[in-house]
Amino acid sequence: MQAVDGVDLELFPGEIHALVGENGAGKSTLAAIAYGAVRPDEGTVTAAGVVGLVHQHFKLIERLRVWENVLLNREPRRGLTIDTGAARERVRALGEAYGLRVDPDAVVETLPVGIKQRVELLRELDREPAVLLLDEPTASLAPGEIASFFATVAGLAARGTAILVVTHKLAEVIAYSARVTVMRAGAVVARHRTSDTSADQIAREMVGGEVPAVAARADRPVEPLLEARGFSAVSGTSELIDATFTVGAGEIVGIAGIEGNGQSALADALAGVIAFTGALSLAGTPLRPDEGPAGRLQRGVRVIPQDRRREALVLDWNVRDNAVLGRQRVIPFARYGETARELIARFDVRPPNLDAIVGMLSGGNQQKIVVGRALAGAPALIVAYQPTRGIDIGAAILVQSRLIEARNAGAGVLLISFELDEIFACADRVLVLAQGRIAGEFTHETIDRGRIGSLMAGRT
Amino acid sequence: MRTLLGGRTARDLMVVVVLVFGVGSIAMLLAHVSPLDGFGALFDGAFGTREEVAETLVQTTNLLFPALGIAIAFRAGLFNIGAEGQLVLGGFAAGWLGAQVPLPAVLAVPMVLIAGTLAGGAWGAIPGFLRARYGANEVIATLMLNVIAVLLATYLVNGPLALPGSGASETPTLPHAAQLGDLVANSRLTWAFPIALVLAFALRWLLQRTVFGYELRAAGDAPEAAKRAGIDLGRTALIAMTLSGAMAGLGGATIVAGELHRFNTGLSPGYGFIAIAVALVGNLDPLWIIVAAFAFGVLQSGGIAMQAEAGVPRDVVSLVTGLVIIALAGRRVVATRRTT
Repeated sequence: MQAVDGVDLELFPGEIHALVGENGAGKSTLAAIAYGAVRPDEGTVTAAGVVGLVHQHFKLIERLRVWENVLLNREPRRGLTIDTGAARERVRALGEAYGLRVDPDAVVETLPVGIKQRVELLRELDREPAVLLLDEPTASLAPGEIASFFATVAGLAARGTAILVVTHKLAEVIAYSARVTVMRAGAVVARHRTSDTSADQIAREMVGGEVPAVAARADRPVEPLLEARGFSAVSGTSELIDATFTVGAGEIVGIAGIEGNGQSALADALAGVIAFTGALSLAGTPLRPDEGPAGRLQRGVRVIPQDRRREALVLDWNVRDNAVLGRQRVIPFARYGETARELIARFDVRPPNLDAIVGMLSGGNQQKIVVGRALAGAPALIVAYQPTRGIDIGAAILVQSRLIEARNAGAGVLLISFELDEIFACADRVLVLAQGRIAGEFTHETIDRGRIGSLMAGRT
Repeated sequence: MRTLLGGRTARDLMVVVVLVFGVGSIAMLLAHVSPLDGFGALFDGAFGTREEVAETLVQTTNLLFPALGIAIAFRAGLFNIGAEGQLVLGGFAAGWLGAQVPLPAVLAVPMVLIAGTLAGGAWGAIPGFLRARYGANEVIATLMLNVIAVLLATYLVNGPLALPGSGASETPTLPHAAQLGDLVANSRLTWAFPIALVLAFALRWLLQRTVFGYELRAAGDAPEAAKRAGIDLGRTALIAMTLSGAMAGLGGATIVAGELHRFNTGLSPGYGFIAIAVALVGNLDPLWIIVAAFAFGVLQSGGIAMQAEAGVPRDVVSLVTGLVIIALAGRRVVATRRTT
């Protein structure tokens, strides 16, 4: 498949250049070509020195120490052994020089994500790159950390490094970049000096037209639905501690927080995949810790899981069979096709083909199936965990609009998202989750972005 | 992966053809036999006469039952390699009960077949239960249960159930009423063959046209998504393994009731293992498995003639079968383990 076609991109020393585009526009492929990990069919890449790349998903060896990760394969040697003293000193000095302080002897798996990213960055900086590529660098940072991260990056640029930031967060593009290149469908569709453009204009260029608006929230009464008291659960490394909250029928409650602060435990416990302690009730009747996903589905609790490819879909199956998964016993077997056709029409699944293999669809169309079947049949409570992760703007707006419509129709929605913008666009109330606990609550009227940001980062 | 790559079945069959003819030719050349003569003898042995065709279908049948059983387990994501033991115990139950209980034919034959089905099912249920309850690896469990099954049957026919005055490891001859009727004179081909074909179609219907089959396939193809869709993975494992063992056990019963007319500890030359290759070559699709079972049936029945007439050791067939298992199963196991 042609991911990138005839693209020209120039980076200059001392400048932060933003590369934006929807999922599948070819940004990551272009970055991989620039780095040398993917060989272009045609064309050339030239750089005045070493090219470094910091991945969106950190490529660190968790069990090793910071210095071992930073200097991997470039360890200072003394005879046949590694000169560990010199190695530690080199990493310490590197951190001092760039303002990226980190203990060289810390084991990576014990570090918080923000620090892991420093390690990742230090590893590239040790190679003294002339060009540094950053792929979605702020995906797992709190709002406050984002500002200090870009301050560091600006410092690198000031020393003469050419920087390319691949991102989909337009606010960061406007705030921190000098130039911006917009890609769509494998081609460059616009280039700007950032000072000459706006987030709205870039968004239109990314989508190739007007960005549709999210459905409006209707004024409606909210009735009690989900009630959680002293709700605690553990799912792998994710832990939810002593949460007390409600989600009413007819409202969207947003859970704001940085990834890894208990969201997975919250979603899994509501899905019935893991047990919980404390008290949960739905419409006045308790939810039992041992009733499992089947029991929850029967009670009208539908969970849109975070990892749609693993937790929600059978990738080898067609659209028809995936469209009923979770309701396979409720819908008569003979009506599977009809049910799938209704979903395709209502959620604009493309291609509109019952026999299309789901693994071959784009992320956005896969997610439409997952969301579509979760909303079918008037569910009582919808738990949407990162429902628009990695999908294009058009599909994201559609998913958000359908969630709002379900709320307008009287469903309760718990929206767990790492994207504050998504929560602000959809939620009636916002709870902040930090280190597994609910750290604050805001209504739509009292939302305070700065305050939420500092609560997310664990400050009170 | 199965449905993702549409041409998979055809490609797998190509692998088999290449292995059979390529590796087979090399082995024949090493034995100083012209491949033309060797394969000529093989096909002549499989199709030369009416009786030889019948024997080929007998071998097809004997592979088809355990292969269908293996397929249902694999479709549920369970690597059942215990078909051999399930088949042996099914044969034992059929042979022992059939010789004990005198009944008219209308009852005796069903009783014998049901006894084999239940015994095989029970033997398959053990690893299914261990998996459902304790998460025990079914590969290890079924592999070990093969050995236990054979030794258990050997002990029973030589110990507590030994025939007085007989040194053979077998049960008494079945009364005529408990024997499966022949389809072709002077052959061992019985009603087991059409029963196996019907079973293949029934299994296909079960997998593709019922909610039960839907849930079983979901559990196999995407366990995490299946669990979140309310499907009880443990219960599915138990049922799939029980059905799997039941089909292998039924196969063992048909060998006893139709071919040997008694249980003998040597009743299977490894049908339960060859059937793994059959199931994989048939892409775990019951209808394709019929085709694959026939192909391996040809190898089995022709292999004897090849040894007798062309002097090619019959082991060439085992060699080729083993390579097919490695080529196809290795890849599938890797794929399965990665997703779980």
